[in-house]
Order: sequence, then C-alpha cells, then structure tokens
Amino acid sequence: MSIFGKKPVETLSNGSQVNQKSLKMRIWNNRGFYLMFLPVAIFVLLVYYWPMLGIRYAFYSYKLKNIHWVGMGNFVKLFSEPDFWQSFTNTLELSIIKLLLNTFAAVLISVFLNEMKNMFMKKTIQTIIYLPHFMSYAVVAAIFTLFLSPSSTGFVNETMKEWGFLSSSIDFLHSKSLWRPIFYLINMWKETGWGTVIFLATLSGINPELYEAADIDGATRLQKIMHVTLPALSNTIIVVLILNMAKVLNMFEPVFVLYNSRVYDVSDVISTYVYRKTFLTAIPDYGYSTAVGLFKSVVGCILMLICNQASKKVRGRGIM
Amino acid sequence: MKRKIVSVILAVSMCTALLAGCGSKSSDGVLGEMEAPEEGTESGDFELDNINIIVDGTLTATVENGQDAFVEQWESAIAEKLGHEVKLNITQLDHSDYSGTVSRTLTTGAPGDEGYPDALIMSATMLRQYQTTGLLWNLKDAYDNAEFQSRLQYPEVNENMETSDGALYGFAPTYGNGCVTYIKQSWLDKAGMKAEDIKTFDDYYDFLKKVSDGKTYGVIAAGYGKVDETPYINYMPEWWQGAYPSFYEKDGAWVDGFTEQATVDALARLNKGYKDGVIDPDTEEAGTKQAREKFFSNDQSTSEGVFTYWAGTWLRTLTDNMAKNDVDNDLGDERLVQLEPIQEIKDTWGGYLNREAPVWVITDDGDGNDAREQAIFDTLFETMLDGDRVQTLWTYGAEGVHWSTEAESFTTNPDDPEKKQDYDYEDGEFHLRPTPNDPNTIWKKNHLDPVLVISPLTNGFTDTDPLIEEGNKFFLANCVDAPAAASSETLTEYLEDLTTVKTTLINQAVVGEITPEEAVEEYKAEFGDISAQIIDELSAE
Amino acid sequence: MDNANLMRLGRKAEEQEYTKRRFKFSAFDFTNYIVFIIIALIVILPMWKVIVDSMNSVGVYQFRFWPENFTLDGYRTIFTTRKLFRPFMNSVVTTVAGTFLGLALSTLGGYVLNQYDMPGRSAMSMFLMITMVFTGGMIPEYLVMKQLGLVDSMWILVVKHGINVYNLVLMKNFFEGIPVSLIEAAKIDGCSAMGIFFRIVLPLSKAALASIGLMYAVTIWNDYSTVQIYITNPDQVNFQYMLRVMIMDGDTPTTAYKVSQDTLYYASIICAILPFMVAYPFLQKYFVKGVNAGAVKE
Repeated sequence: MSIFGKKPVETLSNGSQVNQKSLKMRIWNNRGFYLMFLPVAIFVLLVYYWPMLGIRYAFYSYKLKNIHWVGMGNFVKLFSEPDFWQSFTNTLELSIIKLLLNTFAAVLISVFLNEMKNMFMKKTIQTIIYLPHFMSYAVVAAIFTLFLSPSSTGFVNETMKEWGFLSSSIDFLHSKSLWRPIFYLINMWKETGWGTVIFLATLSGINPELYEAADIDGATRLQKIMHVTLPALSNTIIVVLILNMAKVLNMFEPVFVLYNSRVYDVSDVISTYVYRKTFLTAIPDYGYSTAVGLFKSVVGCILMLICNQASKKVRGRGIM
Repeated sequence: MKRKIVSVILAVSMCTALLAGCGSKSSDGVLGEMEAPEEGTESGDFELDNINIIVDGTLTATVENGQDAFVEQWESAIAEKLGHEVKLNITQLDHSDYSGTVSRTLTTGAPGDEGYPDALIMSATMLRQYQTTGLLWNLKDAYDNAEFQSRLQYPEVNENMETSDGALYGFAPTYGNGCVTYIKQSWLDKAGMKAEDIKTFDDYYDFLKKVSDGKTYGVIAAGYGKVDETPYINYMPEWWQGAYPSFYEKDGAWVDGFTEQATVDALARLNKGYKDGVIDPDTEEAGTKQAREKFFSNDQSTSEGVFTYWAGTWLRTLTDNMAKNDVDNDLGDERLVQLEPIQEIKDTWGGYLNREAPVWVITDDGDGNDAREQAIFDTLFETMLDGDRVQTLWTYGAEGVHWSTEAESFTTNPDDPEKKQDYDYEDGEFHLRPTPNDPNTIWKKNHLDPVLVISPLTNGFTDTDPLIEEGNKFFLANCVDAPAAASSETLTEYLEDLTTVKTTLINQAVVGEITPEEAVEEYKAEFGDISAQIIDELSAE
Repeated sequence: MDNANLMRLGRKAEEQEYTKRRFKFSAFDFTNYIVFIIIALIVILPMWKVIVDSMNSVGVYQFRFWPENFTLDGYRTIFTTRKLFRPFMNSVVTTVAGTFLGLALSTLGGYVLNQYDMPGRSAMSMFLMITMVFTGGMIPEYLVMKQLGLVDSMWILVVKHGINVYNLVLMKNFFEGIPVSLIEAAKIDGCSAMGIFFRIVLPLSKAALASIGLMYAVTIWNDYSTVQIYITNPDQVNFQYMLRVMIMDGDTPTTAYKVSQDTLYYASIICAILPFMVAYPFLQKYFVKGVNAGAVKE
C-alpha cells in the first residue's frame, strides 16, 4: 500500500510539530480537503462499494423475481460444474501464456531496438509499433476476423491458396487447434509494441560506461546484450510479470471478441462463462453467476496479495 | 505500525458504516422489487394512461421507418375508441439476444417502473418458460370474451397455446408461418434443370453440386441447424429431413431427438455437403440477415443458388432485394422458384414445418386484481384485431406514411430506366406507399401479416400482391404443424448449455472434426442424465 | 583511477579500435534494420489494407497499395446513416464527458491524498485501495446500475469510467513532484487549499493532465464490453459496439448508398480508430509519459 503511504521527506522534517496540534484543529484546518474528496468518495461508493452489497446474492437463488436463500448451494454447484473448471484452467493458461509471450517479445524488441543507432529510424519504428495498442479489442478482432475469414474476400486464405500453400480455406477462428495460437499472435500484434515502452525507458537509464567497459574488454554486440543489457532489464521484467500476474483472472474482452461456440473448450474464460450464464441464458440464476464472480474476486484478491508480497521482496515496494 | 493498524481499522469501519448505510437503502431498493407495487390495488375500474411494450424486429415500422406516425395514429385511434388517452411506449430490441434482454428487464424491474413492459412479444419457447413463473397474466377469460371472437378464422392457433390446466398466458394474433426453399431460376437454367425435376434429396444434391465451384455455393442458411430457435431444422429442411435435434413428442411419448439415428444421418448428410463444397461455410456463423444478404447480394459470384426462408411476404422481399441489387433483372418476379418439399420431407413430416406462433403476453403485477391486466388486454390486444382502424395500423402501418387511400402517383427507381416503375392510384384506392427509409421499395406490411392473422380485416383493405399471395398459398398447401415446444424445469435450467453443446457438436460434425456418431455419443456422455431427467419431467406432465 | 592512468596508453589504441567498430555498419546492424523493417511492416500492412479497402468500391481479398475503384461512399454512408452516425456521436459525447469527469475526480483525489498532515488520510487511501483489489462482480454491478437508471443509457460509460483509482494514483505521483516550496509560499500569501489547487497545482500539471486525460479518453472511446453488457437500446450504443455488431453479427443497416459490405466494414474500422490515429503522432509523448509514470517510477 505504499503508493499512498510514502511520506515525502519535507513533511517528515516537521512531523513532530504537526502531531502536537490537537486532532480537532487539524481536521478543521483540512476542511477544504475533505470537501474536495467528497465527490471522489461519492463516485467510489456508487461505482465500487454499492455493488459489493450485491455479493450476498452468491448465497441466494435469484431467478426472475424469485429470490431465496440457498447457503453454499451455489458453490457446491459451481465446484461440480466441469464447464466452470474448464473456464478456470483456460483463464490461467490463456492469460499466463499471453503474458509470457508478450513480455518475451517486448524484451526482445526493446533490446534490439536499443541497438539501433539511427535515432530517426528508432523513433519511427517506435511510433509504428505503439499504434495497435490504441485500437480497441473490438476493432482488432474485426480486422483479423475479416482477414482470416474463410469467405472469398478473406485475405489470408485466398492469398495462401493463390500461392499454393492451401488447397481449401481454413476456418482459423473456428478451429480448436488454431484458435489459441491465433489468439496469442493477435495479442502480440496488439500489445508487444506498447510493452516495449517500459523496457526502453529502463534501457535508456543504463549507465553508458557499462557498455564502454564491455567494449574495452573486447565484448561483441551479442555479448554486451547478454552481459549488460539483459541483466539491467531483469528487475523490470520481474516487476512487469508480477504486476500483470495479479490481474490474470480479469481477462474478458480479448477473449470475448474472438471466441465462438465451436472453440469454447479452448477459449472459455471465467468472465465469459459468467457473461454467458447471466446474459445469454433464457432464465438466468443471478445467484449462481454472482457466486462465480465472487469466487473469481476472492482468488484474484489472494493473487494480488501474493504478488504484492513478491513485489515488496523484489523492489522494496508493493504493487498497490 | 500503530498508525497502520489504526488506519486499517478506520478504513474498515468507514466501509462498514457506508455499507450499512447503503444496506438499509438497498433493502427497499434491489430486494424491494419483490414487494407488490402500490398501483393497481384499487379495485374496480382501472384507467390505463400509459402502456409500455417490448417488441422484436417483427414490428417493421421501426424508428427509421415511421414508428412515430404509427404511435401517433395508434394513440389517437385509441383515444377515440376508449374515450381517454393512452400513451404508447415502444421498446424495440434487436433480434439477437431478445430473450436474454427480456429476462433481464423482467428480473430487475417491476410493473410501473419506467421501461418495465406491460405487454411484450415472446416466442413459443419463451412463453413455455415463463408461463410457470407467475410473471405472466392468465388471459384465458379475456381472450374468450374478446370481441374479435366472432370473426376468428383460425381458433386452433390459440387453443394450442393453452396449458394442461386450461390457462392461456400468450395471445397469438397470427399463425406461425414457416420456411420454404427458394431456388434462383437463373441458376436452375445454368444447371440445365427445372424445379420440377428436383423431387428427392439426390436430385437436390445433384443441383447443388452443379452450381458449386468453390466460390459460389449451392446453399446457405443461418446455421447448419438453428438449435436456439424452434423448429430448429426449418432453415435446412432437406438436410435434416425427419430429424429433430431437440425434445419432441413422437407417437405420444417424449424423446430426445438429438440422440436419434435420424440426427446422425442428418449430420452425415451435412458433413458430405460441407466436404463437397455445396454448403457455404459462412452458414456456420451467419445470422438470418447475413445469410439472406449474401443470397441476394449484388456479387453473385460469391452467392448461393438455394436459400430456405420464410414463406409469403419474404418471397416478395427477397425478389425485391435481388432487383435492388440488379440480380437477374430479366426474370422479374420469376427470379425465385419455390421448391416443393422433397420426397424425404414428405415421407417424414409431411411438408414444411409451420412453426408455433409467437405470442403477445401481459405481465402480471401480482396484486390479485385483474383490473390493470384486463385494461392492457382491452387497450392493446382487443383493438389489435378490431378488424378496422387499429388492426390496419398493426397490419399495414400508419396512414399517409405506409399506406394511403388518396389519389397519388409515384415512381420507384426514377433514375434507372430498367427498374423504373410507375404507380398510379385513384382516390379511395387502398395502396401501399414507398418505404420511408428506402423510397425505391414499396412498403409491405407492419407487424401483422394480413394473410396469417387469426381474424381478418373487415374494412376491405387488402394489398393484392400476386407474388405474396402465391407464396402464402404455396406454403399452406405444403405445410404441417411443427412439434410443440417442450418445457420443463430442468430443460429451462439447462437450455443454454444444451443449445451450446448441440451447436458446437453439430458444427464440429459438419466440418468433419468429429464423426456424427461421435457427436451424438459425446452429447449422451455429457448430457445423457439431464436429457433423461427432462424426458421424465415431460412425460410426467 | 590508478589503473586508468597506468593503462592510458594502451587504452588509446583500443579507443581508436572502438571508434572504428562503433561506426562500422556491421552485419548485425544490417540484419537488425531488416528485421525491424519487417516488424514495422507486420504492424502497418494490416492497417494499410484496412485503409485502402475502406476506399475501394468492391471487396477484394488481395493486398493493394492503392484503391482500384476509389470511392468515399463507405464514409458517406457512416455519416448519413442514423444507425451508424448516432453511435459515432455517442462515442464522441461520452468520451469527452468521461474524460473531463475522470480528470476532475483524479486530480481532486490525487491532490487530497498528498496532504500528509490531514487526519484520516490513510483511511481514505485504504478506502480507495480496496476497490483495486476487490470488486462486486458483473451481476451486482448490473443491479446497481439498474437502480441508478444507467442500464440502457450511454451515460453508463461516463459513470463507470469516471473514476479510475489507478489514474488517481498516477495523478498523485505527478503532484508529488511539485516543489513544496511553491505551495508553502502560496500558503504564506494566504491562499486556501482550493486556491492552491487551482492556481498553483493544476497549471503546473498540464503534461500530467494531458497524459491522464488521454488514458481516460482511450479507455472510454475503446470500451466495447460495457456497452455489450449494459445497453440494448440501439440509440444508446457507442461506435465500437456498432462496429462489432455489424461485422460479427452481419447486422448491416439499410443505407442510402449502394456500398459494398466490405467497403462499409473497413470504413467503419477506420472511423473507430480515427480520433486516436489522427491525434497520436502529436500526443505520443504524453501516452508514453503516462505509462512510464505508472510503471517505472521507483
């Protein structure tokens, strides 16, 4: 919780004086700030805290207007539901592999981009590879769905047929074996460039003397990368992984825009499962969906705390 | 450390206090919806001044197509009829996910809320799911005593909707209609065939093969089997033939059609068609709109020769859309041929399936007093079939916008000499006008199809489009009633799961990822118990 | 130091060698350039195809550098068809409103949380923190939004994104960089808390406001799932949703222009990314600053 808690040195120096004033006085002196905080508090209450009350429905059956207490019933059902477990393992697999691939690709690109000496070229490439990040998942999915479509205007299929790699169209996004690789590739296309921002920033902070020293030792470019650049990045890599690890269960939109009923087995994640159970079911049980959501929140919360501890160990401050 | 503990305690207490505050508020908020609302408790006369309805795309007078005028004229007609004003609020939802949206609205709202419907449209399946929930009003008495009873020409449509204990929760103003198979005449010519030659599945397949070349395909539909919408198989009847991939009553006993050999055979046929490239692979993902647009698209090199779609009015709509896209202009209204049901369909069902009609329902406010509900019935349903002014509104739309009886003349496609058509009407002659958002097409109908309606218009307003008439006649001569939709508690609970798994298995089997036998086996392995339970429940009724 | 002195002569030679090597355009450099040009092409070619096809009157699968049959009907269709234009305007309105609200709340919150001698500060930050760790979930949120009358209303986009605790923290970090002396001086001049905020802090945080404002704007403009979950009324959806419905569900609205389906699709994609693509070259540094402030700050 250190982002908020870190106390600047300036206030520390006269901290003892501050503490001597009476609490009432201090509250009165800060009345303007409380007032300024009020709108923030109201919004946070409405948008974040009020919904938390609804968590009680996890212990109810809530179908249409019929609400009644079922205790742990929803959780019993949940844990015995194979579709739920499938979505749970899918969530972990998809988001962790996606995270590792994106990070790996971003590190690789940063390292080699860092080797580029022509500044104009470097800046241009940066500008280009950052671009896809600003497209929504809806747009990216739209583009690739059109490109990968098996219809006669599908770019990939028709081009591959023309070049003789394929004899008949492949329905990429409907294929169980191809969906995941395509999912990872599309996500890499979208996010790798943006992922380099943080690594390039770290690299720009490396002391040039380190490279000069390596040069003196007669190190080759690759040796310098191995022994200077990568070690300098290792801390940042770990931080990026930890920061994102805490959020692995939240994945919704990237999957939602690309998946379809044929590939549920390999693509359904917890959030899409909850979505379908709630919004695409003829008469949904809101209690059950809430229970799934609560389970996700609790596991997510635990992950967050673990990552927070890990972050404290690695870089001396938490992620929150 | 102490500071930290204190701050945690403070934060927690702050939250609890706030939660408690909100808690008391919400207990009469979210949970409060369970309580009966205030209004409507006074007995006796109930004056309705506002009526909220939820409709799907079958109300063709959409916002872009003159809904304002429709509402305005409805309101003034009602004011005249009932002697007091009623405001009509229409919420029109997209076809996709209609049932999900309706369930959310009904769950999270209460009668009297803004946006909570007083009446709404439901499919036969939805009606069966909701009729046991207590949310819908039993309109049996209101229906029996309705004024339109004297003019009823298809009484069996609503009789079929009654529950086993004689209650009626939905009101069907029309019969269901169904799909027939359309073939493009030009493609028949190209293949050197005639529609009359296509008598069996083999003939049908033969034709498809002749017209498919990897870019053009024989046939397209909205899904290989549309398992989320009864009667499931009606968009690809030649392929499914006697199979029915859901629960239905067969010779007096309920069965799960998905586990039957007929389904395996149907999947094998579809798989062969897919492999041979006669079924457009877009079928898997296409919605009805996408499928039909591809069928009449201006790029016929990527189109299809065969399309099974709704009978009657849609024969006209498909033809008009082909004309709009300059497809086969030389053939005029002969562009599409209706295919008689092939022998295999005749042998199993007996003809194309006439689906169960969609219905209008009234929401019950649960106060034990029927005044509000009866008022809704009288205001909305009774007038809808008044045979006169209001029924005309529901049938053809707004006067002066969608139709007119005044002398006028207009021209469609004035800039295109080939397609240009002049219309000239005398005073007093009933005629449909150009569509508001597409002046080159003539308006067809609004919500009620004049041919399907259970009690006809009495003011003599008929739109005699020979093509539509021919289409309806053709369908009536070649249709049989579809099996009644099944409904049981377990089925409702697992409906979405069953739909998903069946869609997935059908798609996998069609593209050959698994064999048809494997598809059925996997279904049995995953849902065999549930299927058995559903059959038990259905048989117990 | 000693070592350096001793070895100065030896190093001189090495330095010359070093300089030579540094400016030699090696095979490594060559490969590096080629690889990066390929990477840049991988990113840019799909976008280029989208742009070209959005102005091509017939749908083709081939890659073209320039439209064969140039037409702007795709764009004309979008801006003349109510069903498409309305969502576009909804996107504009919600993005602008949401960005302002988001900026207002995060600057207020960030500023207040910097008041270290304010009693209850820790509790207030804890109050915000919890929301980053624990949320109510999809259904409870839906029920609350229903109570607030925001279901089926585009304003849900504004309210839902109006406060982002993460951005608030970034704002606080920016404020921390403002020299205390300036604030102290203002205090001595008799400035109130509000006065300091509006007259000293905000003017000094223009870059931060730009960065964080952009983050809000991108999030709101690009939000598709909120609309998917909360809005069914076609008059209230945003453009991302419309795009998705059109392309994935094939629900193309009837239009006045006779435009090929693909042309319309691609033109819509361009419109869905246009505001940021146009602004991007000018604002790139603010985007980058924003992400660095969040993640790199040690």
